[in-house]
Amino acid sequence: MSNISYLAVEAGKIILENGGETYRVEETINLICRSYKIKNADSYVTPTGIMFSAEDEYGNNLSIIKRIKHRRINLEKVAMVNELSRKVQEKVLSSEEFENELAKISSSKSYSNLAFILSSSLAAFSFTLLFQGNIYDALVSLLIGAMLRINMIFSSDYDVNDFFINVIGGIITSLTALIFCSQFNTLSLDKIMIGSIMPLVPGVALINSIRDTIEGDLVSGLARALEATLVALAIAVGTGIVIKLWAFIFGGIV
Amino acid sequence: MIKQFIFAFIATLTFGILFNIKGEKLFYSALGGGISYLFYYVLLSMGYSAISSTFFVSILIGTYGEVMARVIKTPVTIFIISAIIPLVPGGGLYYTMYYTISENYNQALKYGMDTFQIAIVIVISILLVGTISKFVNKLKSKLI
Repeated sequence: MSNISYLAVEAGKIILENGGETYRVEETINLICRSYKIKNADSYVTPTGIMFSAEDEYGNNLSIIKRIKHRRINLEKVAMVNELSRKVQEKVLSSEEFENELAKISSSKSYSNLAFILSSSLAAFSFTLLFQGNIYDALVSLLIGAMLRINMIFSSDYDVNDFFINVIGGIITSLTALIFCSQFNTLSLDKIMIGSIMPLVPGVALINSIRDTIEGDLVSGLARALEATLVALAIAVGTGIVIKLWAFIFGGIV
Repeated sequence: MIKQFIFAFIATLTFGILFNIKGEKLFYSALGGGISYLFYYVLLSMGYSAISSTFFVSILIGTYGEVMARVIKTPVTIFIISAIIPLVPGGGLYYTMYYTISENYNQALKYGMDTFQIAIVIVISILLVGTISKFVNKLKSKLI
């Protein structure tokens, strides 16, 4: 039985680490425990950790704490755990089966880095066109989008924090855009910049913050809102520094 | 107009890949993004302000997400997160930053307020749809 508790928390951890809402983690853990008739199971989850306590079969108290350090975005895994908890509700799996299913989910492959880089650059490309940039603007964005993702992959390998990754992202964006715009005057700086910072937008944090707030999970709602604001600030700081320095060195208002 | 749809579709599709969404979920979330930006574009060209267009379109996205989540049986967020991205005021953020560093504080304040309002409008409309869908769910379970 305590085995199931560990597995339930593990399932919650997968959701939390891959960009699920906090209330979904609590709900999933509680749901799995209810399906396996674990007594007095309750969980408290924040974006940075899971606290869980329950009663084992001898009436002893069991508590599990899981600290979440690294968060990525892999919504496919969130959906898979969600499906698993639905399945458990209908038909109780044995703990080995459950463990296997979880292992399958956590080892499921994400897209390759190349796919990420390509889609990041395509996203920047199509956003620039969407915001009325011309095709040449979009081509510069295509380049910037790829560079942004390469920076993100490279920096997270070295455990650089998210704020700094986004500052560097902003720097890369504005520096590349400025270099190209100073060479070719058919380009418009603002269109390139707006289109190519879009891949950095903290969509997941924004939506999760709202959904956690609806569920009354105010702590998580605030934390995620802060996360989204910090990302926006970091992008502004990164691009701002470069534009200011460029105007200082090469003169003129850019 | 077709152009707007296609670009928004590609943009949300690639965002879906960045968020690791797969299979039919990826297609439907991109479709949501395309449709919602099309509506946004139409509303803007009909003369509605950016803020009210964002409001209506966010409500559309929220509803689309809730419906699709029940059809495909997957978390609502998958559809909302990528579809909302084209509405995020990246332009407003950029101009706020730009006018702040060029010390044009009047313009900076104007763009800053616009950006803030659009962000709040997105939040409120998604909140609204979420609350209504919770209410409907409760109502259904009470009636049955």
